[in-house]
Amino acid sequence: MAEAARVNPLVPQVGRITRIIDETPDVKTFHVTTEAGKPFTPMPGQLAMLSLLDVGEAMFSITSQGLEHLELAIKKVGMLTDALHEAEPGQAVGIRGPYGNGFPVEELKGKDLLFIGGGIGLAPVRSLINYCIEHRQDYGHLWIIYGARSPADLCFKDDLFKNWPQVENCRVDVTVDKGDAEWKGHEGFVPAFVEELHPDPAGKVAITCGPPIMIKFVLQSMEKLGYKDEQIITTLEMRMKCGIGKCGRCNLGSCYVCLDGPVFTLAQLKQLPNEY
Amino acid sequence: MLKIIRDKLPELLTAWARGARVLVPRERGGTRVFLPWEGEGELALGQGNTLEPPKDLFFPRTETMYRYQVQGKDASLAEEPAADARQVLVGVRSCDAKSLAIMDDAFLTKGYVDEFYRQRRENTRVIALACTEASPTCFCTAFGIDPGRAEGVDVQMWPVEGGYLLEAVTEAGQELLRQAGDLLAEEGDAQPPAAAVPPLQVDVSGVTEKLQRMFEHPYWTAVSRKCLGCGACTYLCPTCYCFDIQGENQGDSGYKFRCWDSCMFSEYTRMAGGHNPRPSKKERLRNRFLHKLQYFPERYGKFACVGCGRCLDRCPVNVDITRVIREVKEVTL
Repeated sequence: MAEAARVNPLVPQVGRITRIIDETPDVKTFHVTTEAGKPFTPMPGQLAMLSLLDVGEAMFSITSQGLEHLELAIKKVGMLTDALHEAEPGQAVGIRGPYGNGFPVEELKGKDLLFIGGGIGLAPVRSLINYCIEHRQDYGHLWIIYGARSPADLCFKDDLFKNWPQVENCRVDVTVDKGDAEWKGHEGFVPAFVEELHPDPAGKVAITCGPPIMIKFVLQSMEKLGYKDEQIITTLEMRMKCGIGKCGRCNLGSCYVCLDGPVFTLAQLKQLPNEY
Repeated sequence: MLKIIRDKLPELLTAWARGARVLVPRERGGTRVFLPWEGEGELALGQGNTLEPPKDLFFPRTETMYRYQVQGKDASLAEEPAADARQVLVGVRSCDAKSLAIMDDAFLTKGYVDEFYRQRRENTRVIALACTEASPTCFCTAFGIDPGRAEGVDVQMWPVEGGYLLEAVTEAGQELLRQAGDLLAEEGDAQPPAAAVPPLQVDVSGVTEKLQRMFEHPYWTAVSRKCLGCGACTYLCPTCYCFDIQGENQGDSGYKFRCWDSCMFSEYTRMAGGHNPRPSKKERLRNRFLHKLQYFPERYGKFACVGCGRCLDRCPVNVDITRVIREVKEVTL
């Protein structure tokens, strides 16, 4: 019966961390590659299982990719992520994927896109922003509204302040909950900032990700601004072990977030049990 | 139809054991479980089901996935060899036979094939044993299961006076019966005995549709009040297939394994950072019943319960899925 050619989807490839970027005091971006090159080529919004073999394995969004590597922006929140934050370039890791549906890049073609992110929630959204920039002619106006607790907690500062503002037909607005002595930008929470900027819903799709409390209030703000449930997309985070819709724990009703998600429209989410 | 006399059955098992690992219900510590047949000892093919379903023969409670070496920044891993040993499973009741079709849906469909399960499933022949008497907690017929004839098996057996009748269902089953040689005798006019009539009756029609409207219903608080969250129901359930993946380090090497997990445990869904989408036993028990009776039917077109009765027999506080089904159908929305 043994068919050597079959690939076991639960067994990772061994790769290496080639570069580590300090984003904030508790977020680092890891570049991961294998001897054979990029571990796989994900679509924006898809996920990867990353492991330190002797510590543990967990699911992360893939924030971007190059020709030879994947990029995962990881916040220090537990045993595995603590160990990853201690790692140095050259560290061997296990990686498997890609998992999940990703953002609906075809359906979004021709639309103006509004990206609303909070904290580490910009990580999955960034994969779509970078994809839209790469395929600039396929998408309309790009508007990025992003916030974090403090100036130090802003992720992807090069993108926010250098790269993205230079992109044609792209606008970036940044806020922090509380500034410091040097901060000259906006202060305040993301939902209120969105209402202040009042992006017109006509022809737009909004893509939002952030801490649950931010998403909750952003959705209320979007409703006030006239966005319909079909115009709002978010990406969820759940505990996952297998990534292939078998191990059971990431279900929302009869959907598995690892397989049928993590990207859902608000209209789809409203059809599912509120259990995330 | 072919017949074997009761005293000759061990010889037949021994014949099959020459080319495969034969597993058959036997007594151990006062309970009946599927154990390997090694040529001698008592069988326990009497009425009623084994304490544990045979799921661990396809989906072991712990199973090594791969081994690794870590040295400084370097690491390597090696997959475990395929589980290609042939198995013959003898004495599977219709409920447990049906559970294999449910596990097949979960492990083999919807985009990914679970290789560990597939290897064991493809290498295992299943010989069913019909029920002529039911246990007090049996309700397989509620799910359209015939206790007198199992689905998806290689050979069907029926207990009769002095022995068993056997009928091959598949090609592989015919091969197994050919191996029996003259242990089997033709019984031209023999008729299978009447199937058991399970004492518990419950009408499951419409329960999925009712549950679709009951997610927020206070019923779940009431029904979960006495649940201890022990997980016995999920471990004994022939259709519960949730698993965890964990590692075990031994110095600079170790292995990754998967093991049974239970949606009744708080850690099951708890995320790094502490957020838990199913924080209390209310959400967890609700998920268990909805998975069996709503989510699995929505996703795979069949109930994830076979009416074997193990969960209600062994629950320390008498949470009873048949009662839940009846109550759900009566609850006012």
